[in-house]
Amino acid sequence: MTKSVEVSGNNNIFSSLRASAGKIGKTIASTFSKFSAEGKIGIFGLICILLMAALAPLITLYPPQKITGDSLEAPGTAHILGTDELGMDIWSQICYGARMSLLIGLAVAFISGFGGGAVGILAGYMGGFVDLALMRVIDVTMALPSFPLLIVISAFLGPSVFNVIFILVLFSWAKPARIARSQTLSIKKNNYIVAARNYGAKPFYILRRHIFPEVLPVLFILVIGISSHAIIAEAGLAFLGLGDPTSKSWGMMLNNATSFKSIYFTPYWQWWLLPPLFMLIGLLLCLAFIGRDMERIFDPKLMIKKGFQS
Amino acid sequence: MARDRNSFLFKFMLTLLVIIVINFFLPRIMPGDPFSMTSDIDSGDEVIVMTEQQRLYYTEYYGLHLPLHEQFVIYIKNLIKGDLGKSIYYKMSVIDVIRLHLPWTMLIVLASTVFSTIAGVILGIFSAKNRKKGSDRLMMAGMIAFAEIPSFLLGLILLLIFNVYLQLFPLAGAVTPFAVYGGLLDHIWDIAYHAFLPVMTLSFAQLTGVYLLTRNSLITVTSKDYIRTARSKGLGEKIVWNRHALRNALLPVVTRAGFMIGIMMGGVVLVESVFSYPGVGMLLRSAVIARDYPLIQGVLLVIAVSILVCNFLVDKIYCKLDPRVSI
Repeated sequence: MTKSVEVSGNNNIFSSLRASAGKIGKTIASTFSKFSAEGKIGIFGLICILLMAALAPLITLYPPQKITGDSLEAPGTAHILGTDELGMDIWSQICYGARMSLLIGLAVAFISGFGGGAVGILAGYMGGFVDLALMRVIDVTMALPSFPLLIVISAFLGPSVFNVIFILVLFSWAKPARIARSQTLSIKKNNYIVAARNYGAKPFYILRRHIFPEVLPVLFILVIGISSHAIIAEAGLAFLGLGDPTSKSWGMMLNNATSFKSIYFTPYWQWWLLPPLFMLIGLLLCLAFIGRDMERIFDPKLMIKKGFQS
Repeated sequence: MARDRNSFLFKFMLTLLVIIVINFFLPRIMPGDPFSMTSDIDSGDEVIVMTEQQRLYYTEYYGLHLPLHEQFVIYIKNLIKGDLGKSIYYKMSVIDVIRLHLPWTMLIVLASTVFSTIAGVILGIFSAKNRKKGSDRLMMAGMIAFAEIPSFLLGLILLLIFNVYLQLFPLAGAVTPFAVYGGLLDHIWDIAYHAFLPVMTLSFAQLTGVYLLTRNSLITVTSKDYIRTARSKGLGEKIVWNRHALRNALLPVVTRAGFMIGIMMGGVVLVESVFSYPGVGMLLRSAVIARDYPLIQGVLLVIAVSILVCNFLVDKIYCKLDPRVSI
C-alpha cells in the first residue's frame, strides 16, 4: 500500500518533471525559431567552441603543454596548426585554451549575474536602509575604473584562475544588481503582488514565485554580456602576462607570441598569433549575436531604450 | 536638484577614497615580505639580501613599524604632497616616471576622442538621413558587430595588416629613435606617424558608440514638433538640419565624448602594449612584469583620478550646455 503510494508519488514528480522539461524544451525551441540568421550563426559557433573545449582530448593528437615537435614548425601533417617556440602543438593549445575562456566567462557571468541579481532583488524588495546602502555600494563599484584596478589587484594577488574569477565577479555584479533592483521595484507595485501578500504569502514565496521569474529574462541577457566582458578581461590580463601560468589560455598564447622577440619580422605570426586572435574574436562575435537576439526576443522595450529601433 | 549635485560630489569623493584605500591596503595584505627575496617558498631556500640592521633601517624608513592607521595617515599626507614613493625599477620617484610617460597617453587619448567623435557624428548623420534604406541597415549591422571586438584585438589586427604585412607604419615607439629633425614640422610629422595606428585603434573601438548615439538622438529629435514647425515655416532643409536638429541632437554626444576619455584610459593599457607605445599603459605593463609595486600603484592612481576627473568635468560642462538639466 505504502509502496504504491510512493510509486504514484514518484510518478507524479516524474510526470511533472517531464512536463516542465518538455515546457523548457518547447520554450527553447520556440525561442530558437525566433532567432535571426545572425543569432543562429552565433549559437552554431558557440556550440562548436563548446564541443572543442569538451572534446579537447579526443580531437587533438598531443597534450597542449608537452614538447612534441620542433620549435616553430609550420602547419603541416604532423601538427595541423604548427608549433610554438617550445615545440608545443598550437591546435592542442587552441582546444584546451577554449576551456579556459569558457570557464572564466561562464563562471563569472553566472556568479555575478545571478548572485548580483539576487542581491538586487532582495534589496529592491526589502527597501529602506539596506536598499540605500546597496545603491551607494553599486554606485561606487560602477564608477571604479575596472580594468586598471583588475590589473593591479591581480598583479598583487598573484595570477590564478580562482583569483581572476574572484576579481572579475567583484567588478561585474553591480550592473545586474542594479537592474534587478529597479525591475523588482516596478514589479512590487503591481496589484497581484499586493493581493498575494494579502492572502498571506510569505516574502520568500513572493520573491520565488512572482518576482524572480519576471526578472530572469533580463538577467539572462545580462549574463551573456557579462560573460563576453569576462572573456575580454581574462584575455587582456593574460595578454599582459597576468594569466594563470599553469594553464594555457588564448590570451596567454597572444602574450607568448607577441613577447617573442622577432615575431613580426618572421612568418611565425601567421600560425602562432592568428589562431588565438581569430578564435577570441569569433567567440565574442557569437556571444554578441546571441545576446542581441535574446534582447530582441525577451524585451522589446529594452531594445528601444538602447536604440535599436529602425 | 541641488541635493543631486551634492550627492554627485559625494559619490566622486567616495570613489576616490575607495581607490586610495585599495591602493594602500593591497601591498599590505599581499603575501610575502618586501624585504625578503624568496626564490622558492616551497623548498625554503629564502635568499636574504639584507642584514638585520638594514632591514630595521628600511622598516623604520618606510614607517612599517607603525600601527596601520598611522601608516595610512602618512600615506595620505604624502599623496597630498604629490609624493607617490620611489620606483624600484627606474630608481626615480614615481611621479617623475609617470610625468615622462603621461603626455604620450594624453596625446593618443585626446586625439582619438576628437577623431572618433567627428567620424561617429558624420556617420550617424549619414545614417539618420538615409534612415530605413539599405545603406543605413547595412551600416548599423556592421558597426554593431564591429563594436564587439575589443580594442586590443583590433589593435593586433591593424598591427598585423599595416605594420607587418604592408610595412607602412613603425612597429613600436612614439618617435624614431636618434632622429635628427629638420624642423618643428618634421618632428610633429614623426610623432603623428607613430601615433597614427594607436589612435585609429582607440577611435575605432569608440566609433560605434558615438555613431549609434548620434543616429538615435537625431531620429528622436527629427520626430519632434518643432522640426515640423520649422519645415512648415518654409525653412530650407539645410537650416532645419543644422540649426534645429543637429544642435539639439548633439548634446548627448558631448557628454559621451567626455565619458569616452574615461573608458579609453582603461583600454589604453592594452592598446599601448600592442603597439609598444611609451605611455602610462606601457609603463603599467612593464611595472607589472618588473613587479615594481610603487610604480604600479602610482600609475593606477593617475589613471583612476584622471577617469574620475573627466567624468566630473563632463557633468559640469553638460550643465553649462544644457540649462534644462540644472533647473
